[in-house]
Amino acid sequence: MKKLSVWLLAVLAALAIAGCASQKGPAEQAVASAESALASVRDMAQKYAPEQLGGVEAQLQSLKDSLAQGDYKGVLAAAPALTTAISSLKDTATAKQAEAEAALAKAKDAWGPMSADVPKMVDAIQSRVDILSKSHHLPKGVTKDSLQAAESGLSSMKSAWSDASNAASSGDFTTAMSKGQAVKDQATQIMQSLGMSSS
Amino acid sequence: MADDKTPAAADNPYTQTHTVQSGDTLSKIAQKYYGDASLYTKIFEANRDQLKDPNRIFPGQKLRIP
Repeated sequence: MKKLSVWLLAVLAALAIAGCASQKGPAEQAVASAESALASVRDMAQKYAPEQLGGVEAQLQSLKDSLAQGDYKGVLAAAPALTTAISSLKDTATAKQAEAEAALAKAKDAWGPMSADVPKMVDAIQSRVDILSKSHHLPKGVTKDSLQAAESGLSSMKSAWSDASNAASSGDFTTAMSKGQAVKDQATQIMQSLGMSSS
Repeated sequence: MADDKTPAAADNPYTQTHTVQSGDTLSKIAQKYYGDASLYTKIFEANRDQLKDPNRIFPGQKLRIP
């Protein structure tokens, strides 16, 4: 009886080892496939879905740890979830990339009129400020404070416009539009303060 | 951004305009927009394409106010 038990245990152990060995290859393959799939989307994900990428990286690391510990069964059990997570990551990053590209194209289109308008607004303000600074009395509705604010505003607008133009030159039309709109808003406000609406 | 301010006013849509009313003079217009009648020459120079004489402006004329 005792001999039979020892023999049975030996057979079971051999089967277990054989079973493990048969899972090692598929487990290694599963990790390699996941690494390869993640590598193909990593750059895009880093830019457009960094937080989600972090979660997927952690899942992959956990799978690698299991593989290193010989837990092939665990690797094979967890691999489908990782595959799904990588696929979802790819979908998210692709959608966000498309959104960003659409926003950039929209900003690029809007930059043309903006880049034509704002310098003319600034020129008109500069001209009026130059003339008003020679005036002995300010016109009705224009105060010394508003003229002074316009003078300092011109300086800050020129600087901000230069930043916006540089952003546009480097292809960053989103930043260019954001900075340009701020200059345009400031110019509009200054024109109002100087009574520059046409009659 | 133009350095020569007055000529730039000609093709600048943001340059203010004034439609001449009966009784207007360049001095009165300068007084209204600049607070100083003596600055009428700024308006005259900005409108040389349509004004030959600063003393001759007509109702309905649309003047640029730089």
